[in-house]
Amino acid sequence: MVFAQAMLVFVVLASGLVFVTFALAWLLGWVPSERVISSITGLTFSASILALAIVLWYLRSTSAVTATFGNWFAVGDYRFPMFFFADRLSAVFLGMTVVLVGLIGRFSATYLHREPGFFRFFLLLHLFAFGSLVAFAAGSFDLLVGGWEIVGITSVLLIAFFQHRTPPVENAVRVFGVYRACDIGLLAGVFAMHHWAGTASFDQGFPHLSGGRAATICLLLLWAAAGKGAQVPFSGWLPRAMEGPTPSSAIFYGAISIHAGAYLLLRLQPMLAQSPFAGAIVVVLGLATAIYGTICGRATADAKTSLAFASLAQVGVVFMEIGLGLKWIAVIHILGHATVRTLQFLRSPSMLHDYHQMHSAIGGEASQAEIDLEKLLPVSIQLWLYRWALDRGHLDTILDRFVVHPLMKLSGVFAKLDGIGWKRSSVTRESPVSAVYAKVRERAG
Amino acid sequence: MTSVALTAVAIGLPWSAAVLLALIRSPLRAIAFASALVSMIAIALMLWTSPSSQSLQEGLMLLYACVACGATLVLPRRDCTARTLSGILWLLGSTLLAYSTDHLGVLVVAWISSAIPFLFDQWLGAHNWRPRLALLVSTAVLATAIVLIVHERHTLSIETLSRQRPGGMAVFALLVAAVVFRKGICPVHAWVGDAAEGGSVIPTALLLNGHFGAMLVVRLIVPLFPDTARTMFPVLSYLALATALYVAIRAVAENSPRRLIAYLALSQSACILAGLESRSAAGVTGALVHWCVVTISTVGLFAILRLLEVRFGDNLTSSAHLGLARHAPRLAVHFIVLGLALVGLPGTLSFCSQDLLIHGTLISHPLIGLLLPAATAINAITIFRLFTRLFLGKRKTGFTIMADALPRERWMLSACVVFVVAGGVFPSAIVTRWAVQTESIEQTVAGGLMTR
Repeated sequence: MVFAQAMLVFVVLASGLVFVTFALAWLLGWVPSERVISSITGLTFSASILALAIVLWYLRSTSAVTATFGNWFAVGDYRFPMFFFADRLSAVFLGMTVVLVGLIGRFSATYLHREPGFFRFFLLLHLFAFGSLVAFAAGSFDLLVGGWEIVGITSVLLIAFFQHRTPPVENAVRVFGVYRACDIGLLAGVFAMHHWAGTASFDQGFPHLSGGRAATICLLLLWAAAGKGAQVPFSGWLPRAMEGPTPSSAIFYGAISIHAGAYLLLRLQPMLAQSPFAGAIVVVLGLATAIYGTICGRATADAKTSLAFASLAQVGVVFMEIGLGLKWIAVIHILGHATVRTLQFLRSPSMLHDYHQMHSAIGGEASQAEIDLEKLLPVSIQLWLYRWALDRGHLDTILDRFVVHPLMKLSGVFAKLDGIGWKRSSVTRESPVSAVYAKVRERAG
Repeated sequence: MTSVALTAVAIGLPWSAAVLLALIRSPLRAIAFASALVSMIAIALMLWTSPSSQSLQEGLMLLYACVACGATLVLPRRDCTARTLSGILWLLGSTLLAYSTDHLGVLVVAWISSAIPFLFDQWLGAHNWRPRLALLVSTAVLATAIVLIVHERHTLSIETLSRQRPGGMAVFALLVAAVVFRKGICPVHAWVGDAAEGGSVIPTALLLNGHFGAMLVVRLIVPLFPDTARTMFPVLSYLALATALYVAIRAVAENSPRRLIAYLALSQSACILAGLESRSAAGVTGALVHWCVVTISTVGLFAILRLLEVRFGDNLTSSAHLGLARHAPRLAVHFIVLGLALVGLPGTLSFCSQDLLIHGTLISHPLIGLLLPAATAINAITIFRLFTRLFLGKRKTGFTIMADALPRERWMLSACVVFVVAGGVFPSAIVTRWAVQTESIEQTVAGGLMTR
């Protein structure tokens, strides 16, 4: 068992150690070559897959492997427990992460060859893998928050990967804003869990709570899960996130990050079962997102954004499954969806080439097998839906009108209040007296 | 060497060096750095010899001395003048004196002394009246409170006056007013932005991070007025939380990077006051840990901003993308790490401090306490936006290619990063060391006995 614990710790920490090593090397002025970076990445994830296989072997005979490190910090009766916990649910997500990130690493070594940000990409890829593995191997929601935040940071830094262009940078800020707004739900939910349930650890299950308390915790965490999983009404950020390089889009929004919200809800399943109301909200949210993703996806012109909306629709269905209590169906759905979507994202830059190849192989155009259900609707509704889908459900417009602009306006009002009695412009950093003083000193010198 | 002698060295040497710098022309930086370093070593020795249960003030003194020492090192050559360096050393001596004394008279002298360099624009002051007025009012209010205490109790020893409620509600109100003015709590917060924008950046960062307001709460208000504090502190806490949110919103549309970082620093340091008042061990500990984080991070951020200003011009703005990361990648990395460390980046000390602060504040004020994570979320967005505006985007062509962080700058900034990261990985080293004293503050505010 000790060996399995050591392997679990290795799986979680390996990519973090590589990140720290690369970062320190860079700070000391050494940038490893592409060959070194891709070799180390390949070795790390190969070793991680092997280590995880050993953990899985142990999981045949035991329900969970737990590696405990005591309390990270403790104050009074408040404790931050530090332990990694791999049960069958964690194992699926850990396996998905190490295999897919390893594949992405291998793919990116070629895809980003001679790209100026090659080193930066791999640095962030390792940090992302570390954050994801911490989140999926966390034994408590406290530790899960840590991994969750790291995934968010790396996500936005990779959206802004092409930093010389303004749109990716602006979109990264927008995505970061949504993430942080939704993290408030996570923090408040974890606090409520500590306060009412007395623990935020999920290795021993949750105590029975009253319907109101269970619903409050579930809804707060659903807020966070919806943000990370781009569920309605937070879906507007997902198309914006497509500005990043294709491999990062594949791993974040096709596979791991987009399903982190679903993982949170899967961990919360025992408490969701205590609150049918919260479960119903999860189903409604998932259904709304699935419909939204399907409609918007049909009006999208570029490949990556189409795939993003397709992801959104599938994650919506996963949320519905979780809300209905179909835990393992949701897990299998996630696993299949993540794998297929990663492949689709990775092939998206060569989509036209693939089509041409397919057409030449079959000797002509492929017949259109799908049915356009929207054509059954009246033309006026079709046009309205098209416009609605083209503007992505007006979600960004609503966010701008009701959140961003009022906040900016309020900030402007505060700035005006601050400016009362003081004219701000023409700030001179060197006063005439100081200038004279400096000249006198200079002459004296 | 006794503790008194070490304290004398730690305080006297920076003051002596400050006077010396006014008389000689070189080597200014070497003298300033050496005196700050010796001061730092003296405090480290004090910390080493003091029992761990009474190491709070030594810990905070060491933190401040380290930051001041780093400031002398990171100061750009353009700013490396006698007046700036002597101001930093003067401020160091004054702040250490305020932290170390148990005498009300000495405290007020240290308070005034720390404000002096910022009252004159020939020294370090901003070229506008609001910072001067705020510092003068806070000083006058504190001095009045102490005169009233002496008039009533005929003693200046804080230990003797402990739990005596000297001067009653009037003195309590005056002390709270001193905290409000000195810390920049709403509605008198505007001077902080003015000071950062119009004054010398790095010394101003040191002034703000003296945290004299929080120090006054911990050293004076809580021990002297435990009963009044219990009933009246929530008002100060609400004000602090309102300040944290107000200033965070205020920073959203701000385009001046100096002012913006000052508001972020103010918003986050207002959280310290909220935590101190939270009446829970988690909140008080979170406040003290956050004190360290805010000090290190904001001084680092101000330093990076100043380094950018001397390289790329004083008129940096966050209204457009400047793309400076191409020119200064190391400064960019240090900026984003220290910036996010200020707002709870996992793996840094602020993750621990924010966790404790949010937990403590929500326990004492379940609804109002939600302002704290909201303010932190807005601050995080603002700092990330500032980072993208300064460092990312299309590179400006008008800039001359300048050096990235020089070795002395790099080492100082890396030390800041190492502190926040190492603290984040091993937070217990700080949390457990101050456990006894945080417990005594918490018990006093929550209704127990002051056991200092």
